[in-house]
Formats: sequence, structure tokens, C-alpha cells
Amino acid sequence: MFAALLFWGWQADFLIVGASLGVVLESSRVIRARWDLDDADFNHIWSFCVLLVVALAGYVFTTNEAGGGLNAMLHGNMAARNAVNSAVLTSTRFLRWLPMATFPFIFAQVFNVRSSVPLTAVSLVLRWRRRKGEATLAGHYLDIVYPYFIVCLFSAGIHSNSGTQSYFWGQCVLITWALWSVRARRFGLVTWACTLLAVLGLGFLGQFGINQAQRVIENFNAQWMARFFRQRTDAAQSVTSIGQIGDLKLSPRIVIWLQPENVVKVPTYLREASYRKYAPQRQTWFAGSSANDFEPMSAEADGTSWVLVPGNLSTASINIACYLNGWSREYEAPEGLLPLPTGSRSLGKLPAEILLKKNPTGAVLAAGRGLLIFDAHYRPGASIDSPPNVITNFDSTVNLEEKAALDQVISEMNLSATDPLADKLIGIQRFFAQKFTYSTWQEADKKAPTNSTPLSRFLLTRRTGHCEYFATATVLLLRELGVPARYAVGYAVHETSGTGFIVRERDAHAWCLVWDASAKIWVDFDTTPSSWIAIENRHKSMLEWLSDLKSWLGFEFAKFRWREAHWQQYLLWSLIPVLVVLLYYIIFRHRKKRRDPHAKKWNEIQAVWPGLDSEFYQLEKNLAARGLPRPPGESLADWLQRALAEPALAELRPPLHQLLQLHYRHRFDPPGLSASQREQLKREAKVCLHALARTKPAK
Amino acid sequence: MTPTNFDAARATYQKIAANISKVMRGQDAATRHLLAALAAGGHVLLEDYPGTGKTTLAKALAKSIDARFKRIQFTPDLLPSDILGVSIFSQRDQEFHFHEGPVFTDILLADEINRASPRTQSALLEAMGEGQVSVEGERRNLSELFFVIATENPVEFRGTYPLPEAQMDRFAMQFTLGYVSAAEEVAILTAQEHNHPIEELKSAATLADVIAMKRAVENIRISPELKRYAVDLVAATRTASGVQLGASPRASIALMKTAQALALFDGVDFVAPEQIQLLAVPVIAHRVVLEPQARFSGLTTRGVVEDILKKLRVPA
Repeated sequence: MFAALLFWGWQADFLIVGASLGVVLESSRVIRARWDLDDADFNHIWSFCVLLVVALAGYVFTTNEAGGGLNAMLHGNMAARNAVNSAVLTSTRFLRWLPMATFPFIFAQVFNVRSSVPLTAVSLVLRWRRRKGEATLAGHYLDIVYPYFIVCLFSAGIHSNSGTQSYFWGQCVLITWALWSVRARRFGLVTWACTLLAVLGLGFLGQFGINQAQRVIENFNAQWMARFFRQRTDAAQSVTSIGQIGDLKLSPRIVIWLQPENVVKVPTYLREASYRKYAPQRQTWFAGSSANDFEPMSAEADGTSWVLVPGNLSTASINIACYLNGWSREYEAPEGLLPLPTGSRSLGKLPAEILLKKNPTGAVLAAGRGLLIFDAHYRPGASIDSPPNVITNFDSTVNLEEKAALDQVISEMNLSATDPLADKLIGIQRFFAQKFTYSTWQEADKKAPTNSTPLSRFLLTRRTGHCEYFATATVLLLRELGVPARYAVGYAVHETSGTGFIVRERDAHAWCLVWDASAKIWVDFDTTPSSWIAIENRHKSMLEWLSDLKSWLGFEFAKFRWREAHWQQYLLWSLIPVLVVLLYYIIFRHRKKRRDPHAKKWNEIQAVWPGLDSEFYQLEKNLAARGLPRPPGESLADWLQRALAEPALAELRPPLHQLLQLHYRHRFDPPGLSASQREQLKREAKVCLHALARTKPAK
Repeated sequence: MTPTNFDAARATYQKIAANISKVMRGQDAATRHLLAALAAGGHVLLEDYPGTGKTTLAKALAKSIDARFKRIQFTPDLLPSDILGVSIFSQRDQEFHFHEGPVFTDILLADEINRASPRTQSALLEAMGEGQVSVEGERRNLSELFFVIATENPVEFRGTYPLPEAQMDRFAMQFTLGYVSAAEEVAILTAQEHNHPIEELKSAATLADVIAMKRAVENIRISPELKRYAVDLVAATRTASGVQLGASPRASIALMKTAQALALFDGVDFVAPEQIQLLAVPVIAHRVVLEPQARFSGLTTRGVVEDILKKLRVPA
């Protein structure tokens, strides 16, 4: 046992704990003292161990460093890697602690008179059956030393350095040792050794094979998991659903909470990223530069506020709470793009450990926590977006494939490149509002020419689609009319909740940014018919409050998890009083049950018995006050003998014994006392009381 | 029942007790218990080590009362008919005649009762419980004062069978004599220097005296509160931890009756709590069966009852 625990301690980095637990168990060979625990005690110890395991699981689950387990559960669209990573970490930490949590049970067995535990203790089914009166397995006992040995080995297997072979060989030695003592004597030593070697060889091959298989499955697994998670917004590219057939389904999950602080008008759009280059073949927008063109930013002196655009005081501020759903390999922490109102100047109240980066197209990448609650200060005007680049000319490029359709639409709108910007915008707005409808449903085109793009079909024939169609078409139309424009992705804000606003996943939106050359700023421009919000809301289900509740719970938990980080260190300590209370309850519950009926009986009869008015009780009280109280189980005569042992009370002995006889007759003789005897009892009690008062209590 | 009857009964007790103390030195408490059981109509089981005077006490009691006395030495090959009696065919008158066994007596000494097999031990069940025996389908009454004193060696000794629970329950009391002090033992040696004092013992009371004493005991008053206390004491053994089988209602009855007898001996005509407390261990403890685990851990039935006595509130 000692060796197994030591091995576990070595493998799971709990060397001291493992060694000391082992010493405690092995000390049973030296220490002769034993407890006598009955089946009920083992039931309680087992319940305690289970509670400990549950508490441990809860603790590990909530305080996992690598992205919360519960958080991931409540909050579906974590990146695949992140979720898998955290689940693995949670379970390994939990399993590595298992021998510690179950230690009280083995400890109780080792130091018990009988070196086995009742089978009924570990199985609720058996306990229940026993309660029902079936005595099928009542007398069955189980030696848990070997099960515990296996738990230790298993737990030791969950080690961090999975590359080394030390675990396998250590385990071989331990198993050989354990089997040695229980080997069958019928077979020779050689047979035994050969069999063992064969088994170990098979085991070695098996673990080697499993290693290989695991690598294959891990690769497969990542791809498979990824399909279940919505692609988070990527600053480098945005794959649109343009050209996809079927219905777009978006979840009502709440992803952002807004609390206006100093605001005239709440921003309509929260932008996560914007893009410059469109690839019609893949229906994808690209930011126009590489994925890692983010440049790190530095916080202000206070460490919590960050300036995006220098100078120029902001006019409005809003409090934003959002999740960071990505996983940063660089920082080993959650990361994500911040949804910001257009024209954000500075961010405030960010946690100190957060790191921010920005890219030229106005995306801000934050890393450090799964949930961010911060203030965004903004004002229409200059933003962090870079002005149109005249060299690469990304912001004015129109794809050749779409050109024909765009020109046809422009001629339909009666617009030309020389018209002022305002006319162009009004013209495009009106054109889309009058001739296009919003729908999330796309039918397959049977007669469509094979060389036409989905966008041209949208513009010329279909004239219905969702925001990505409108935004893409508008950006390209504006560019064709000579206005630099960008494709923006983020959320539309329209739903109020109390004093603030909430943004659901289905409020995800795409629109465009138009370059106002005269003011040298980017302006939001949305051509999607405003009916889209109403149409999206049609998807609202009757049970939306339920999903809102889940979102709210997830949010509250994330707040607790990410904001009150210092709480977590005390979580384990806060569990201890709970465990103590539970333990007390478990131990004393059955004792109380037994005591109760008696207490009740005594209460109900006390008032009934005759003779309780006796003056002897006053005497007893006064005598007891001298330092000799009467325990409940001692009779009056015995107690009086003890109380009157004091030499000062010698002359009181005969009268008091006589009085006791009178008192007893009053209490326990069914006919009771005659009137004169009752008087005598009263009188003599008074005399004795006076006599007692005269004698000084002995020190 | 008049006070004179109580006084006469008390005098009978005192005469017998004084007579026994001539032989049994330093065993006044045991004598008192024994006589309480006799007066209460119960039977007594004396368990102790060999040579502590169990048989002597029984014989001294038998000699002190002018009554029939028989003894059975229990051996492993003893049969029920050896106790109850057997019908024997008489060649002369061509009929079966019932030959009464030793059970047809006033005082029966069942010596080393646990050396017989449980089958033979059980032959005493009906006799002790109901004062009658059924032999060959015929019911025969025993004497009015049928009193069994059984002795046994501790169960752990070699060649013993444990008494069945039902048999144990038929005994009103079980107590031990224990070793006497060194001074008392020297006095015993001196007394037996020439001959055993028991041989000179004369009877101190007649059968009628003892039966009158039994009647007097029945008239000792006991309050409902103390009856309740006795019942609570017995009932508490049924829920105590480590107990497999608690004491029966027969225990409460025996407790009440022996307490009445003790009250008579003490010179009062009603029962006080002390008498119940004093008798709780000898009356209740031998009926309680412990769980094997509790027994191995050192718990005794005596300990269980003493613990209950300490915890249960005594009427005062």
C-alpha cells in the first residue's frame, strides 16, 4: 500500500502527500489500537467520502485554470480546442486527487477490528434493499485494500508527463508485487513468472498501440468537434453564407449586455471587424492583410484604460459585457474580438491582466479572460480604422466577376461616379428599400446560368436575401461608383432589457463602412431593409425566456468566474464549513432519531404524576446548589447519601432521610399521604431548609 | 392486607436470610436477591466460576425452608425424561405408572444447567414458565412454590452449551456471587475446620410461611409512574446500540415483582425507584443479546443496562 501511494505521489506530483498517507496506512502494522466500527459507521464514512469526491469535483470544475468547465457547458460555442482542453484538464486534476478523497474509507478499514467493509456501505441499491427488509447480502463483506490499490494505480496513470515510460514499468513492478502474495501455490514459480511476463508483454504492446490510436483519433477528433461550434468572428476573414441554399438558423442566446452610462443615443451597431477584399469564388471577405497584422497596444498608467484614438474627448460612454470565445495559443488564455461602437476613442475599467491588440481595419483583439465587462467611450468621427490605402487600393477594388451585374444595377439606379456622395447613398438606400426584400430562405435556382455568381443573381433576378447579400452588394456598388467602402461585421442593437440592452446571437449583422472623403471618416451605412429585425424575431420561440434564463445564469456564473478571481482561492475553504455541517448531520442524525421517542414520552407524562408539588424539591435544589447536582439517572436516596457526606451536614442526615421517606410516600404510594402527613412534609421540609441555610457550604 | 401480614412476611424473610448467612459469609446482597426472586415467584440463575458457593447457597436456602428439595446434576447425556418423569409399565398390575421426575418438588437445584444439551434444558421451559408440565399428553401441576435455582459456569468454559434465549428469559434474575474478601475467606475456612456448617443448618421457615410471604409481596403497592420507569428501562434495551435482541415484556413483569419483594424486605409497603434501579441489572441484563461485533469490542450486557440506568431519568 505504501509503495502504491508513494508511486501515485511521485507520478501525480504529490510526493509528500502520497508518502505521508502511505505511512499512516502502514502504521497499522505497528499500532495495535483498533476501532470497532459497525455497518452504520461505514455507511457514514462512505457517504462522507462521496461528498468529498463531489466537493472535489465541484472545486476542480469551477476553479480550472484553463477556461472554466461549467462555463463551457453553459456556454456552447467555445472554440473546440478550448473546450476539449479544459475538459481534459478538469478530469485529470480530479482523477489525480481521487486517492486523497477516498482515503478516509480505507483508513477506517485498516484501523478497524474487522479488516473488510460491509458491501451494503458502498451500494445504495443494497442499502435500499436492506431497508426494505431483504437480507440477501447483509452479511457480505469486502476487502477494499485491492480496489484502493487499483484506484492509486489508475490515478497515478493520469500524469502530466505522458511521454515517459516510468509509469508503465512502475505499475508493472507494483502489480507483480501485489500478485505475488496471492499467487496460486498449485503452479510452479516458473509458470507463474512466465504468465506474468506474457501478460506484461501484452500490456506493453497494448499501451503502445493505444498511444498510436490516440494520435489518430485526436486529429480526427479536433475536426469533428469543430463542426459543432459556430466559427467565431475572425479578424482576417469572414466566410459569408452567400449562395448557400436553405434557411439560416440563428440562436437566441444572449451574447452581449449593454448598459448605457452617459449616452444620448445608444449605438445601433457594435462592430467586431471590417474587411476589404472580397473573393466571389469562396464568398469570403478578407481583411486584406495577413492574420497576424495585429499590433500590440499599451494601457494607460492606471493599467485599466486604453486609448484607441488619441486626443479629443469622448461624448458618450457605454458599459459592454461580452464573452471572449477564442483561445490564444500565445497567451494560453481566452481571446476574442471586442464589439465596439463606431468611433470608439478609449476603453475603460478593463481588468489589469487583459492584453489588447488592434489591426488596421479597426478590429480590437483582447486576450486574458473569458468574460470582459468594460466601458467604451465613443464619439462619431475619427476611428481607429486606417484611411483607404491608395497603394494597395483594397478599399476600391471591384471583382471582375461581379462588374457586369453591378453596372447593370447602377444604370437602373441612374447614378454615376460623379454624383455627390450623399446622392449616391440615398439612391442606393432607396433602390434596395423599394425593390428588395429580406429573407433568410434561399431556394435553389434551377435555371441559373452556371457562370453567374450568387451575388449577381441576388442583384438582378432574385432580389431577396439576408444582410450579407445586402452588405456585400452595397460595398461593391459604392466601390464601382468610386467611393471606398468596407464590409463590417458585428451586432445590431435593438432589444431593451431593463435600463440596458441585450444582444442575441441572431442579432449578428453585416453592413458597410463608407469613406467620407470630405470629413476623412468612416461612416456606417446599412442597406438591409429594416424589416430584417422583425423577420428575425419571427424565429422567437415561446420558450425564449428559458434560453434567456440559461444565458443569464451563464453570464452570472461567468461574472463570478472571471471578475471575482480572488474568490476562487477561498472556494475550497468555503467548502469546509459545508462539509463539517454535513458530517455533523450524518453522524448525529440517527442518534437523534433514537433519542426523540424517549424525550417525548417523558414530556407527556411529567405533568400527570402525583406528588410533584412536594416541598422536598426546594430542599433538593438548595442542597444541589452547594455543588453536588443530581444527574438524571441517580435516584434521590443515592444522591442524598452522597450529598450528606459533608461533615457539616451530619445533624441533618436523620431528619432528611425521614423526610425522603415521607416524600417517597407522597410520590410513589398510590393512596398518597393523609392530610396530616402532607402538613408534616411541608413543616419538616421548612425546618430542614432553615437548618440547611444555617450551615455554611464547605469550600 | 394488613400491616401485621407485612410484618410477618418481613419476619420470615429476616429469619431465612439470617439462617443462610450462617453458611454464606459475605454474600448478603446475593442472598437478598435470591430471596427477592423466591418471594416474587421467579427463578434464579447463578453464574459464576467454580467454587464460589453457588451450590452451597442453593442448598442453604433449601435447608432453611421446610420444603421438598431436589437437585439435578446436568450432564451432556441427560434426557428430558430424566427431569420430567417417565411412565413405566408395571408387570404386576399390567399398567403404566407415571414416575415423577425431580421437577415435582418445591425447590429445584439445577446444577451446572449449561452442561446439558439445549434439548434437555428446554424440558424446563414449561415448568418454569407456567408451573406445570405436560407429559404424555397429560397436564400435571407443580407445587405452589416451585422455585428453580440453576447454576452455571461462564459460557466460555469447556463442555458448556449456551442456554437458549427462551430459557434465559424464564429466569427472573441472573446474578453472580463473586469472590469474597480475604478476611471473609479466612472466616469460611475457620467455619469449615471440622465440618461443613450446612450440615447443622435447621429450617427457619415453613412452606406456609414462604407462601404467605409471596402473597404479601403481591400486595406491595407500585405507582403507575414507576411501572412506566420499569417499562422504559426494558424498552431502552431494544433500541440500544450494539444490541441484537432486547429484553422482553417478561423482563418488565419480573422487574416489577422483584422490586415489590425488595420493598417488602426494606420494610415499606410501596416500591421506591431505588429498588427498581438495584434490580435492573440482575433482572434485565441476562435477557439481552449483543451483536457479535459489539461483544468482541468489549461491550457487556451489564454495561448496556448500566448505561441505560445512567441516561434514563429516574422519577424523584
